[in-house]
Amino acid sequence: MKQGSAQKDSYRIGLLVPSSNTTVEPEFYRALPANVTLHTARLFLTEITPEAILKMVGELEAQSRLLASADVDVVMLGATAPSFLKGLGYDREVIARIEKVAGKPATTTSTALLRALRFLGAKRVVLGSAYDDKVNAIARGFLEANGFKVVAARGLGMVDNLAVGRLGPESAFELARGVDQANADAMVLACTNWRTMDVIERLERELGKPVVSTTQVSVWDALRMIGYRRELPGYGRLLRSLAAEDLLAAVA
Amino acid sequence: MYGWRGRIGLLVPSINTTMETEFWRTAPRGVSVHTARIAGGRHGTPEELRGMESASKQAAKEVAMVEPDVVVYGCTSGSFFEGPEWNRKISEQLSEIAGAPTVTTAGAMAACLIGGGHKKVDVVTPYVEVTNERLKQFLKAHGIEVVTLGTFDMLDMFDHAKIEPGEIYRKVREITTPKAEAVFVACTQLRALEVLDRLERDLGKPVYSAVQASAWQAYQAMGVDPGIADCGSLLRNLSEPGAVKPPSNGLRKSA
Repeated sequence: MKQGSAQKDSYRIGLLVPSSNTTVEPEFYRALPANVTLHTARLFLTEITPEAILKMVGELEAQSRLLASADVDVVMLGATAPSFLKGLGYDREVIARIEKVAGKPATTTSTALLRALRFLGAKRVVLGSAYDDKVNAIARGFLEANGFKVVAARGLGMVDNLAVGRLGPESAFELARGVDQANADAMVLACTNWRTMDVIERLERELGKPVVSTTQVSVWDALRMIGYRRELPGYGRLLRSLAAEDLLAAVA
Repeated sequence: MYGWRGRIGLLVPSINTTMETEFWRTAPRGVSVHTARIAGGRHGTPEELRGMESASKQAAKEVAMVEPDVVVYGCTSGSFFEGPEWNRKISEQLSEIAGAPTVTTAGAMAACLIGGGHKKVDVVTPYVEVTNERLKQFLKAHGIEVVTLGTFDMLDMFDHAKIEPGEIYRKVREITTPKAEAVFVACTQLRALEVLDRLERDLGKPVYSAVQASAWQAYQAMGVDPGIADCGSLLRNLSEPGAVKPPSNGLRKSA
């Protein structure tokens, strides 16, 4: 664990999830080390449309307060589209709102994605998502505004969030294989309700490049922020990197 | 979809840090836990406990979105405080909102004690006196007498999770007498699950906890044998042949 500062023997991650998300809690729980527990609060969402997402973000303050009352060490908004919806800087705006009411360090899935890509040194990425064209275009715009070249993008065209949770992990595997480009440095799989954690290792071997999924980067950033510094195997290069010496400098 | 055997919609007081953890750590493959938080304070005053009844409706709306097979209202005092009718009302209104059967911790407490045929029990709680009195009345209304009640006597509900499992083990050993047929450890914030097996072996009688009883009723409602062998006889017995009945066809949403 973290060197220097006072050591605790257990840590709590506070996770804000869209109410209709059935995937991110099981995937977090399975990946987390034994001394880190997960505490969830839900934001009302049924459809992945810009209108529905904006409404959902309106509940941020109330739900962040509930997590703060459980004295969590970090608050993660574990939702992709809600943290990039308004483009460059929107994720930081959301973080500021959470931190203001919760009084705890906060991060979002989109912030975590940017940090992970910078840490991995990726410049050109391919984007695969569960979204329809409208939301996928916003995702692409967010990555490009933050300095990444999106060389190809493809979404599954889904709007009903509960239906995304019903997709098997093979859907992520197949989409990634189909959309990958030889000149991309990394593959991005977006949507925390899409089952991706099971296919990351296999995809990395298949594509020969780092694969980052929005659930994986959320686990990584939350663990990084509480000072967890051990390799977490089984979910790709990124989570094995938690023990890396240069981790802090890379994401500063 | 995750939770193909069953999805549990778990409603916890916002300050609770124990119940989600104990539910996740015992959930078998194919069962998923989806949590929503009930707004409220941390002091467990009568006003706060009553307020949870109303605040739980919002949490039920949120968790309804995962199409749960069962909803758990995970707070003992928040379900027994105003008596059996109040508890039934909470259960009914949350079932209506979430579109799934709802178990409450107080209801599960009564059900497991009645199911075990216990008339005289010892109880361990973290509560202050007014809440302990209400607990005794609730059990009395179900025909169960509390012989000895041992308490950690702490008003702050967040701090209940700081009580170590070993302290709970010692408290149960310290207060229980041969007159009691069983022991119940109340409060879903107490980390009792991991000491139940040891206590049952050392005392030679059933020992139940709030989280365990809630899980027991939830798995029964889903018709899922969780295969939990090391969290007390109550949960272990769900693996006996015929102990859980799969719901009649078409009722389960998770599959």
